[in-house]
Amino acid sequence: MDRRSFLKGIGVASLLAEGLVRRLFAREIPVVAVSRDKDYRRAAVRAVDLLGGMKRFVKPGDVVVIKPNMGWDRTPAQAANTHPLVVRGLAEEALRVGAKKVKVFDRTCNDERRCYVQSGIAAALSGLDRVELKFIENERFHPVAIKGGTLKSWELYGEALSADVFINVPVAKHHGLTRLSLGLKNVMGVMGGNRGSIHRHIGPALADINSVLKSHLTVIDATRVLTAHGPQGGDPADVKVLDTVVASADIVAADAYATTLFGLKPEEIEVTVAAYRRGLGEMNLRRVRVVRG
Amino acid sequence: MKKISPARLSQLLFLLLFLVLFVQTEYRGSDQLAAAVNSFFRADPLVAVTVLLAEKTMVWLVLPGLLLLGLSLVLGRFFCGWVCPLGTILDLVTPRIRKRGALPLLKGNLKYWLLLPLLGAALFDVNLAGLLDPLALLVRGLTFFFYPLFGDSARQVWVGLYRLLGDNRDYLAPGYALLRDHLLPFRETFYPLALLSTLLLVLIIVLERYESRNWCRNLCPLGTLLGIAARFSPLVRRPAGLCADCGACRQLCPTTFDQELLQREECILCLECQRRCPAQRVTFGFGRRPAGEPVFLQRRVLLGGLVSGFFLARVFRFRSPAAQARLLRPPGVTDEQRFLQSCVRCGECMKVCLKSALYPAIFESGAEGLYTPHLIPRLGYCEYNCTLCGQVCPTGAIPALPVEEKRRQVIGKAVFDKNQCLPFAKKTNCIVCEEHCPIPQKAIRSRTVAETTDDGRSVRLQVPYVVTELCNGCGICENVCPLEGKAGIEVFAVNDRSPLPAGGEPPPGGGEEGDPYGGAG
Ligand code: SF4
Ligand code: SF4
Repeated sequence: MDRRSFLKGIGVASLLAEGLVRRLFAREIPVVAVSRDKDYRRAAVRAVDLLGGMKRFVKPGDVVVIKPNMGWDRTPAQAANTHPLVVRGLAEEALRVGAKKVKVFDRTCNDERRCYVQSGIAAALSGLDRVELKFIENERFHPVAIKGGTLKSWELYGEALSADVFINVPVAKHHGLTRLSLGLKNVMGVMGGNRGSIHRHIGPALADINSVLKSHLTVIDATRVLTAHGPQGGDPADVKVLDTVVASADIVAADAYATTLFGLKPEEIEVTVAAYRRGLGEMNLRRVRVVRG
Repeated sequence: MKKISPARLSQLLFLLLFLVLFVQTEYRGSDQLAAAVNSFFRADPLVAVTVLLAEKTMVWLVLPGLLLLGLSLVLGRFFCGWVCPLGTILDLVTPRIRKRGALPLLKGNLKYWLLLPLLGAALFDVNLAGLLDPLALLVRGLTFFFYPLFGDSARQVWVGLYRLLGDNRDYLAPGYALLRDHLLPFRETFYPLALLSTLLLVLIIVLERYESRNWCRNLCPLGTLLGIAARFSPLVRRPAGLCADCGACRQLCPTTFDQELLQREECILCLECQRRCPAQRVTFGFGRRPAGEPVFLQRRVLLGGLVSGFFLARVFRFRSPAAQARLLRPPGVTDEQRFLQSCVRCGECMKVCLKSALYPAIFESGAEGLYTPHLIPRLGYCEYNCTLCGQVCPTGAIPALPVEEKRRQVIGKAVFDKNQCLPFAKKTNCIVCEEHCPIPQKAIRSRTVAETTDDGRSVRLQVPYVVTELCNGCGICENVCPLEGKAGIEVFAVNDRSPLPAGGEPPPGGGEEGDPYGGAG
């Protein structure tokens, strides 16, 4: 099935069959928190507070992994990487509620040293006790079997898998192939191997990865978003300032909501649809409670 | 313990400095490297002289080298005895090597037959000095062989610890991070010619079996050049020769006293003879040069040397067209000829290259390009915001450019290979190359087309194309192409390497329509 007819099919099928089934078995209606603030650190913290606070996700003594997107040698203003203040805010919150350790890493696309520095995240996290900004180390990738997916197995990053809490902190931005890069796409940063090769079937492949590496909390940085020439952009003219942070325990719902910030519909994003079909979360925004603050 | 001589102390300090600068020639979190990292090359008179001969204009970067040459006219070959790190290494190992007596083959005019053709070739626009420059030999040996080996071994231990301890290894992580950030190479890069580079160093050490400082007194072109300068130095030793009643100098002196008379062009001013003369007779001071010194260069050697340089320059010109098509020079190099004139093959740029994109050429640019840096995109790419190679190049062969300018430098142009590239060859989506293209306006773009696959399915395909006017040839596309082995997009060298226009958008008339590789295939 090609993508267009696939999407069309989904539009109908999801509303009828799957949607119906889902609704019948739905226990809890997913909540998406949206917070607007010019102070990005506060915006991030508030978004999590609207979901019940960091203590809902992080228990004292937990090892927490925060996975921002810091894959590109770009500055915060260029909107290719997660804003450093969003990352800092979340790290501080995790510490405040008793995390034993907060690890921050990403498998970068450009030189990792430059990315960590240019993204501003190295500077933002420096001086935080018990927060480790770490480089990816190849020996820590382990093959993980994936049931019932397109990918039979893939190498994933050990430290991400073994964390007590995995907080996924993407930046919302344009992407040439997937149209948008959001939470589901951000887990590519813990994939080992030749990850470019999944572009052939990126939707189902990313759904596969997200089915084995669950994000306990997804915080989408839409403080300023890249609207074209993603995923790395570079031209300030492509950046739009929204001062928004979106958070949810449901990664699909978070992505679905963030999609609307670009004037697009969740059904238009293949990755979101694939994840929804795989049962990873809710993409129909009418069945999502949006709280604002 | 023996009291350490001032010369030895100076040698050790300079060796230490050399090693510190070597380790510092690496990105350590700041875009700008300390200007000092290549000071040894900047102060290298052989580099200075050959670059000036080849370029035939003043290159200010090499001024320190000229100053050092000037100083040698006054003080003699002190550089060899007080500064040169290769000389220091030889001095450190040579006492442990039993001597067998000088090799007659190396005596005589051989050293001039090495130096003069190098100068002659430079005069005829081919700068080969780096092949035999002692600092270059040393840096290359370290860069291509010892340092990667060191880094790789350290890393293997670290990986082994992970196998052994699993996540418990993290308790040791701060220690490793310290090493990694300050001492180890960040990336383990393995280089072609690594073996040759080490072999040459090993050979130089093996030569110590025949006499001490064998390389320095009989071969080293830098030493020979300084030796010529020393001929004019008013700094003289008294007595000028061996004393009839003693002759201890023969044992004390590491370089010159295999004859009765002091060989001024070989004296490295270590002052051992003065320090340890049993009769305390030796003094150094300014004065008239002693009479009776042999003429040092027969006209035959001088002319012959320079003329063979001319032939050397010609013979080395052969280039294979196929290899040349892929001969990508570092950013900012626009003129191959000028580049060959000024590159001293020191290896600094390859050492510092952030993404291990630069490798020594073997014969890609002909024999005259041996050891010059070129970019191999499948192994690494030029990082968009990085300017390090230009910063460390001691001669300006790679120009030091501000980052905005460096980004617009054209290294080559990318071209799709439709027999390989997935959307063309397999009708599946991919565009990893577009994703990574760092040009803000994207030099790789794609159009969406409806296609029918070979097995009859209809697909919505994103077909990529290159906007040639925007491509700077950084090579990241070729580097990240997920195909195994050969990439579906490749960067080729181009003659016209004029920088991309500032501002981003392709010039009018160019762009999507004008793209020669954009056909839907
Ligand atoms: S080739 Fe590019 S990445 Fe490598 S050192 Fe030069 S500027 Fe940096
Ligand atoms: S181009 Fe590289 S090898 Fe040549 S002189 Fe410059 S830094 Fe050295």
